[in-house]
Amino acid sequence: MATNSKTLTQAEKETLFYEWLASAHGDAPAFALGDDGSGASSSDKQQLFEQLCIEDKEFAERVEQANYLNLLKETSADAEVPNWQDKVNFPFVEKTPWWQWQGMPAASLCCSVAAILMVLSGFNFKVDEGRLSVGFGDSSPNTNIALLIDQKVQEKLDAQQQANQALLAQYVDTIQQQQLQTSTQLTEYLLTSSRTERREDFAELIKFVNQQRYDDQVFYVRQLNELQTEINMQTGAGFDVVRQVSDIRLDE
Amino acid sequence: MFESSDEQLVQKALKGNKNAWYSLLSSYEKAIYNYAIRMTGNSHDAADLMQEIFLSVFNSLASYKGTGSFKAWLFRIAHFRSMDFFRRKRPDLSLDDIGAEQGILESSSSQSVDLNKPLLEASPEQHLQSGQSQQQILSLMQTLPLKQRTVIELKFFSQFTFDEIAGQLDISSNTVKSRLYAALAVLKTKMEVEHGH
Repeated sequence: MATNSKTLTQAEKETLFYEWLASAHGDAPAFALGDDGSGASSSDKQQLFEQLCIEDKEFAERVEQANYLNLLKETSADAEVPNWQDKVNFPFVEKTPWWQWQGMPAASLCCSVAAILMVLSGFNFKVDEGRLSVGFGDSSPNTNIALLIDQKVQEKLDAQQQANQALLAQYVDTIQQQQLQTSTQLTEYLLTSSRTERREDFAELIKFVNQQRYDDQVFYVRQLNELQTEINMQTGAGFDVVRQVSDIRLDE
Repeated sequence: MFESSDEQLVQKALKGNKNAWYSLLSSYEKAIYNYAIRMTGNSHDAADLMQEIFLSVFNSLASYKGTGSFKAWLFRIAHFRSMDFFRRKRPDLSLDDIGAEQGILESSSSQSVDLNKPLLEASPEQHLQSGQSQQQILSLMQTLPLKQRTVIELKFFSQFTFDEIAGQLDISSNTVKSRLYAALAVLKTKMEVEHGH
């Protein structure tokens, strides 16, 4: 964009005018930098704009006219709206409740006809062991034979199952008795062997205690003899006394 | 605080909620009525045009997808309805010709907008000035050809951006600007004639 207002083209002038107008209406910042790709700064544009307002009569008139319209807009109050909504019928689509659905009579008629047909045709359905059977009229013979075969097979299977269960119960009883006997024998053996071992252990203990007591006696005898000997030596008693004391035997 | 957005009100209105629809009407009826006044130049035609616009909006409500603002969509419909209105009113003229020869008479006629209604919180001086401004706006707008009038209306009074106006009128932004520039020239000439400059 030219920097002199006199060298501006008409298109450049209009661009400047629209930028000013957009900023006056708050649509854009005043003379935003580089909006037109010219590289002119906002202060340059502002200066150009002011120059144009002074030097270019047509441009100034446009600006003046726009300012005048803005002033009129600001100083005028909007006219009050007359009461008009009551006069206009907006075709609202009212949602009807489900029980007022228009297809309800037709649906009920269809259901009635279907029920009559089911009664007349002997319609029946049967739930047998989780299986739903639907049919018209009596059940077919093939169905009965299959049913009988199923029943017989089921009876045989039940009888065999009962026999198996009886055999199994008998086997379990036998095993339980054997287990009981074995347990009893094992208990008796354990008690007997335990008793014998304890007796032997006590005998060993008594023997050990006796041996210990004998060793203690020997020790005390030896101590007493040494004591006697020392006493005698100190008191001057004769060899006889020593001999007598030394002759003390363990048996005594 | 708990007011619904326009999109929510539209969705509710589509489901048959009358309150939502009338809430939308209350939000925009004043803007549309004043748009219609400035476009037609008198309150009777404005009331008719407003009814047509809102009926059309009601019937087209399902086509509003919420991609743009509801106001822009509403004014786009308003533009189409006002074009239809002028076509019906002056079938002998093309839309390009409707304007200058039509307006001045109507704007100064006895059917012009009733400006004597009391304005809320306005002093008598403000009321008087406001009424004069409104009358002057109507007088000026009616001197413009229809296409220029539409651009002036949307830009100066409905406060849309150039791009929004271009979207509403299905024309380019440059065309909007050139129409605006031309309209300002027409208004300047008109004012010079009136004031004898």
